[in-house]
Amino acid sequence: MLWILLEISAGILLLLLLVNRVPLSYTLRNLSVRWLTTLLTVLAFVLVISLMVVMLAFTTGMKRMTEDTGEPANVMVLSEGADDEAFSNVDVGDAAKMESLPQVLRDTTGKRAVASRETYLIVNQPALHPKPGRPKGRFLQVRGIVDAGMAARVHNIELLGDGKWFSQAGTQEHPDGSSKAASLIQVVLGEGVARELAADRSPEEAASATNKGRLDIGDPFLLGRRTCIVTGIMKSSGSTYNSEIWGKQDVVAPLFGKSAITTLVLRTADAQAAAQLRDYFKEKYKEGSVVARVEKEYYASLSETSKQFLYAIIFVTVVMAVGGVFGVMNTMFAAISNRIKDIGILRILGYSRWQILVSFLLESLVIALLGGLLGCAIGSLANGTTANSVLGGGAGGKFVVLSLVVDANIWAAGMFLALLMGAIGGLLPAISAIRLKPLDALR
Amino acid sequence: MKYLLLIFKNVGRNLLRSLLTALGTMVLVLVVTLVWSILSLIDKATEEKSKDFKAIVTERWSMPSRMPFKYERALAEGAARENHPEDTRPTDSMAWRFFVGTLDNENRSFRNTMFGLACNPDKLLTMMDGLENMPQNQEDEMRGAVARLKSKRDGIIVGRDHLKNLNAIIGNAGDSTLQNPIGRRFKLTGIASFTGLDFEFEIVGIFPPGRYDNFTAFNQGYYLDTIDAYPQSHGKRPHVLADRNLSLFWLKVPNKDAYNRIVDQITSSPEFKDPEVKIETASSGVGSFMEAYRDLLKGMRWLLAPACIITLALVLANAISISVRERRTELAVMKVLGFRPGQIVLLVLGESVFLGLLAGLASAGATYAVINWWLGGVKFPIAFFDSFFIPVNAIGWGAAVGAGAALAGSLVPAWFASRVKPAEVFAKVG
Repeated sequence: MLWILLEISAGILLLLLLVNRVPLSYTLRNLSVRWLTTLLTVLAFVLVISLMVVMLAFTTGMKRMTEDTGEPANVMVLSEGADDEAFSNVDVGDAAKMESLPQVLRDTTGKRAVASRETYLIVNQPALHPKPGRPKGRFLQVRGIVDAGMAARVHNIELLGDGKWFSQAGTQEHPDGSSKAASLIQVVLGEGVARELAADRSPEEAASATNKGRLDIGDPFLLGRRTCIVTGIMKSSGSTYNSEIWGKQDVVAPLFGKSAITTLVLRTADAQAAAQLRDYFKEKYKEGSVVARVEKEYYASLSETSKQFLYAIIFVTVVMAVGGVFGVMNTMFAAISNRIKDIGILRILGYSRWQILVSFLLESLVIALLGGLLGCAIGSLANGTTANSVLGGGAGGKFVVLSLVVDANIWAAGMFLALLMGAIGGLLPAISAIRLKPLDALR
Repeated sequence: MKYLLLIFKNVGRNLLRSLLTALGTMVLVLVVTLVWSILSLIDKATEEKSKDFKAIVTERWSMPSRMPFKYERALAEGAARENHPEDTRPTDSMAWRFFVGTLDNENRSFRNTMFGLACNPDKLLTMMDGLENMPQNQEDEMRGAVARLKSKRDGIIVGRDHLKNLNAIIGNAGDSTLQNPIGRRFKLTGIASFTGLDFEFEIVGIFPPGRYDNFTAFNQGYYLDTIDAYPQSHGKRPHVLADRNLSLFWLKVPNKDAYNRIVDQITSSPEFKDPEVKIETASSGVGSFMEAYRDLLKGMRWLLAPACIITLALVLANAISISVRERRTELAVMKVLGFRPGQIVLLVLGESVFLGLLAGLASAGATYAVINWWLGGVKFPIAFFDSFFIPVNAIGWGAAVGAGAALAGSLVPAWFASRVKPAEVFAKVG
């Protein structure tokens, strides 16, 4: 839709250029003669458009994150009534029954179901060394995994470089070898949370760190009162797992008073089989009180927040654009009042009313085009920067580190808005110009 | 006085330009007013108070917080020991037990989901933010609702948004329920951790408009009885919340010293170790939750609002510079008549500031009236906040932003105006 509108706008612009009989150089020269007014108007466009691009990059990042998380062939099972993993409690006995369903894929031995039992927790962790401008604490998302290898397969997660999944025990001895020191909890981190935790390191820790940008293999950090050691970093960029800490379920879950499984993820043959299994749970499964959703659908449902932000952004952008339109109108009315004699001469030379209208409209559109292009380019600098947010509507939600995404659609939206502002702002003054009578204009 | 008249006349000379500039100013001030109103409310909620403030006790590590039922009694005393009069006690307290249910379990949606609070009704009047200093009519209404809630075990006080949803979902949207909902009954089915806890309520009152639009409150006795009755219909298995159902606990303390002593008492008490609890000021609690939104709020504070103000300054600068350019001859005549450069600067700045001030004031005033009186708040659900109202001092911000942006935008054009040389201007005239 957006592209169609932009194509129509570009088409109109091209048409105006083709039918324009007043030399384009005259239009462009007028812009350069009134360079200060042109510059101020272009700058107003640049601000409005670049701000819109940054705001849309935020919601696109959110949307992309929910779209890129989850496997189409996975079915996610939560306890009945739970919209969010944080509020779910799946009975272990029920989990075993569900894993044995024929729709669930088996591993190569044919004995084990390709399924992952997980406990999702939100941990309120104070920062030990809060820096000015940084949070004093954060909500860490911890996923207790029963079988790391199986979870990696179910979620298609790989580790970066030399990373390793946590061991069967999920812990390792403290390096000082003291029997009194609690063992270290082995965890793997999403890249996003690894970066966030690195920003909270003490100056000494930061100075001695091998990787300054994020926590890396072998780095310690506190989870609750226990020290964790990073054994791997997940290749999870762009998904919600990017903001999660994964550890051995029977080690991390009891630390926070939770022993039950919150989530069971079942792998089926393909997306169609996943949909069938979801329907089976809904209509025929009577063994336990659970709710099943295709994993992709679950994460897509978390885009409620991005919609809410999108509406707010549309409102703000429209209001700012209206402000910009008034600015363009001022510029163009002034341009016309400065060139009343020019208009009279053009009319006497034989240029028709509509040709003069096209000339003034083009002038306004050139300003808009310049402002739009510059605004989009400046706003695009936000591409790839990270921001903290919360995903999900209603109760619960996921605390995520997302990447801002500036894509072609945002450029299309930016350029369309700029051209629309230029057209609306230029049209009224252009109409007022063509209403002038040649002799009156020359007087 | 004559000078002021000259400024007014100049503003009115090109009405179209003044109108366009004023309209541009108004819409941009509207955005700034909205953004600052949201930030102001959040800042106020996270601002530390020095006396009569609230502390909040929650589970130390996990979210959502679920503390054992047995914690309530000791927390109400601020963990003060028996027979120890020297221990500090809170002046008031309130236990919160959350509940989430749906009006339509078959077709659940965000709209038919209801968030509830099981509590002691008396505390609604003494411990809830925003319900302490209500207008008299709202206070009377709230007192009546609380009295009815105390006498009716299955009573419920609902927020206005929930009431609208109730009408649309289980009632007849065309009937007069919204105007007279008292006595209306509805069922709420527990979801998520609250599955298996089903309630039938009778509406006994409505929360005043604003902060509690998406809120409901009911008797904690009814809630706890329902949890206790759960095993009878579920093979004697206790509900998952049977023991740990205390979501959070509020304490009112007279001053910082009392707060610090109560913090010591609670953190050193052996009663709150499994699970551990944490105590913080209400503002700190809200602040730590708002951390999740910090980048968004930073963007609003340091990107959106400044960008609007700069755009506004550019629009005004453009209008004033056009005006100055068009009036070069007039400015030259003024100089010949004896006006000093400083006076010309003041004249140009005066025109611009007058226009910006007026437009900013009108915009913020209209925003205040439309949002607070007509729309009943602006919806922007973020963390604990649902609706935002425009504070009365926003009218002052609007005027200041309009005038400030006008001043900034017209400094350079005013300087150019003061530099007009009559000889150069008249050499070109005629």
